Amino acid sequence: MRDRILQTLRDLRAYALAKGYEVSIDYHEEESALMRFANSAISLNTSEHLIRLGVTAYDGRKRAGYDLITDLDKVDEMKMAIDTAAEMVQHAQPLAYQPTIPTFSESFADESNFDPALASLSSEEKLAYFNAAAQGLESDEIKLSGILSNGATTLAQINTRSEHTQYFRFSDAQATVVLSHLNLKWEVQSEQSAHTRSVLDPQPVHRDLAFLLDRYQREAPVSLPLGRYDIVFGQAAIADLLSMMQWIGFNGGSMKRGFSMLGEDKVGQKVFSEKITLSDDPSRPETFPFRRDLMGLPRGRFPLFEAGVFKGFAWFQDDADEFGVQPTGHTVMHKSLVMEGGEKDIPDLEALINMPRENDLLYIPFLHYMNIVNPSKGLVTASSRFGALYLKKDGSVAVPYNVRITQSLLDIFGEKVAWLSRQTLPYNTSMSYGARNPTAVIVPLFMCVKDLEISHSNTSY
Amino acid sequence: MLEQIKQQIDRLKAKGVTYADARYYPFEESNQLFMQNGNLKNASSSRESGVGVRVLYKGAWGFSASSDLSDLPGLFDKAFENAKAAAERVTFPVRLAEKDAIQAQFASPCQINPFEVPLSEKVAFLKAMDERMNQPGVFLRNAYLTFMRKQIVFVDSEGSQIEKLITEVFAGLEVNGMDAQGVMHERKFRLGQMGKPTRGWESIDLDLFAANAERIVRELNELLVADDCPKEDRSVILLPGIMYLQTHETIGHALELDRILGYELAYAGGSFVTLDDFGKLRYGSDLLTVRADATVPNSPGSFGYDDDGVPCQNVTLIDKGILVGAITGRQMVEEANARAKKQIFQGSGGANRATAFYRVPIERMTNINIDPGNDGTLDDIVAKTERGIILDGDRSWSIGSNREQFHFATEIGWLVEDGRKTKVVKNATYKGFTLPFWNSLSAVGDESTWQLQFVENCGKGQPNQIMQLGHGIPICRFDNVRIGE
Repeated sequence: MRDRILQTLRDLRAYALAKGYEVSIDYHEEESALMRFANSAISLNTSEHLIRLGVTAYDGRKRAGYDLITDLDKVDEMKMAIDTAAEMVQHAQPLAYQPTIPTFSESFADESNFDPALASLSSEEKLAYFNAAAQGLESDEIKLSGILSNGATTLAQINTRSEHTQYFRFSDAQATVVLSHLNLKWEVQSEQSAHTRSVLDPQPVHRDLAFLLDRYQREAPVSLPLGRYDIVFGQAAIADLLSMMQWIGFNGGSMKRGFSMLGEDKVGQKVFSEKITLSDDPSRPETFPFRRDLMGLPRGRFPLFEAGVFKGFAWFQDDADEFGVQPTGHTVMHKSLVMEGGEKDIPDLEALINMPRENDLLYIPFLHYMNIVNPSKGLVTASSRFGALYLKKDGSVAVPYNVRITQSLLDIFGEKVAWLSRQTLPYNTSMSYGARNPTAVIVPLFMCVKDLEISHSNTSY
Repeated sequence: MLEQIKQQIDRLKAKGVTYADARYYPFEESNQLFMQNGNLKNASSSRESGVGVRVLYKGAWGFSASSDLSDLPGLFDKAFENAKAAAERVTFPVRLAEKDAIQAQFASPCQINPFEVPLSEKVAFLKAMDERMNQPGVFLRNAYLTFMRKQIVFVDSEGSQIEKLITEVFAGLEVNGMDAQGVMHERKFRLGQMGKPTRGWESIDLDLFAANAERIVRELNELLVADDCPKEDRSVILLPGIMYLQTHETIGHALELDRILGYELAYAGGSFVTLDDFGKLRYGSDLLTVRADATVPNSPGSFGYDDDGVPCQNVTLIDKGILVGAITGRQMVEEANARAKKQIFQGSGGANRATAFYRVPIERMTNINIDPGNDGTLDDIVAKTERGIILDGDRSWSIGSNREQFHFATEIGWLVEDGRKTKVVKNATYKGFTLPFWNSLSAVGDESTWQLQFVENCGKGQPNQIMQLGHGIPICRFDNVRIGE
């Protein structure tokens, strides 16, 4: 299949050259499948096979694009896409800067992140996963929800500037398993991200769900008074906070446009706790990495924050072109963010709960519906969800109703950071809007931040 | 193609499926243009076609979709196989509410097909708007145009065949500026219904946009020298630019029946509403009447027939403050009635929609509208407000997982003291609990304040789906609301 895809791209390049066009061509193919559970039944079982062709035409400083859902047999349709993009660019308006046209200096192919066994999980395997993850936990009141999404993503590129091609192929799976109380409207959740079939294991999911379920069924719920708390964020919450930071933290284009909490003067400055080290590291296969960016730049480990010191902005090519800076190899569908762990040996939730503590801790595993209140200040807001716990210093545990925090990322990752777990794991942050784009970040299992304000506290589930 | 699809449906019927349907998209096209600070950053178009097949077998759904139509039997068999696999784990067998077999056509009202307008004319419009916004105080200016057009042919095993041609036009302007403290502020204008009867290229009214470009630049400059929003309790008067979102997030999403029944629990969340609440729950003050009205002549929330093949309807959701209805499709009303052991819903509300041929239909908002009231104009409401704040423009929104509480940031606020608008404030926010908030509704503007706002990017579902819809809303006032946090 790879040869056929690349040959098709070469044929399309030849067509564009013959017509005198300047184009880059991106091929995206996905085989997606998703089993969704709700109310302890399979509510949806889907399969989609989609091929997208994206053509960008250039004419000096002018640029226009045309995208098509097609298939490999429809070469004429693909040529029409090239013609259309070339026609459109004639009527586009010149940019105030020269856009860089992709030019690959050599051909590159990376299929090291493709596992056919993961890409082609059967419905039976997915059902078996759910059955094992929830074994013995469901009841008349406790219902199973969740998804297991798996698939394959193929990306191939060519342009008229060079005959070389780029080819990437990933397999991925994302599992979210939720147990909810039918009447009380609480939910507990466990998730898993897989880049190979061997990683997909329902047992840790079952263990976490059983542990949380027991707590939620046993402990009385409490409405926490508004005020300041020492908060332990779980893996999902940390990943979500980092996702926001990608846009209002270290993104060069956002900074230049005034939508960042960090300015150019902060490069080389300590902006976070010394416990915070974050990089974009495409050597980590769990992150579905791009080892070349889509402009052909090689990608290696790119430090973003080291011991709290801000090391530099990440730039998309178009932003780098517009603002006259060197590109950093970040023209990718997703980065490979890796946040280093800390000193605390806390391999799982049970260890967190059993850990001796000097203060009450509010454990928030998941932040729901996070949004940016004020990008210049790094201010975000979100609610707790999915298995929050209130761990009192006397060793007892309560189940808190959901709370809201509205805080700056500068505070959350700043000097208030008390500790990080040594253990890290990949957390899947894939969205399935548009084309398949498997994404995961590697984060500590737990991060404790002292003295954060709860600005809203529910009085029921 | 249509005959081949019907043959495949018949073939699966003969194999014992309870129900099957197919949505064939001969084409779906889009055209997006985005200009930032005079740079045409995006000029792109797209086109897609394909078929999505839904099969119901032994109470379970299977779905498959492809753009490759060379193997229709394989596509239908895949959906059937998926349904068979899903039938291994059924707790409440899917039943579909009755509907008539319909042969029909629908087309969005459109005088000038935006896909026939030359690109140069669209670029010229953006350029004119960009120049209009290029004023002192404006650090970043954005203008965009988005056009969509799709033909959908729906066929099902119950004898329906419906052909739809949907045209959508979205457009907007945005200015951003930085205050003396280095904090960015924004004002936006988005195309809504604006009294226009159709939604083709003719709805891009140069004068309308020019006037609003001037307004948002002026208001941005007022923001840049404004004081911060105070942190206290006040009456909030919501203008359409934020009222639509309040309605969307805390009424619309909360009343999607699949969400109420737990079908979104693993992702987007649930709803505080229970089946027991219909006919009883006081959702808001008696000034509040809300409808899911998909019959409004010109809106993205009006689409003729939903993707179950059910005609669009005008469904009352909240009647004088009491919850009476939900946003529904064929499957969920049957399940809800059975679970409640009474007939809450009289058939489907015609709100099951899919965003593309490769996604499955789910309950989506149509036009979630609030009836205008008797409290006059904005000036009339302000005159009767002792200590309040007028808010407009969506800047940030975050909602609890059961839609029970919320936090919104708005672009701009104007303080109201003793019946008079006094000064502009920046960094305005407000928050609350959904039911107490709607029950604090103390004034509803008259018809002159009612606007239908378009929403082009409502997200829901797994796999995710973006949907277009509308909100017709008047200016409203709510009392004792916490602002400034």
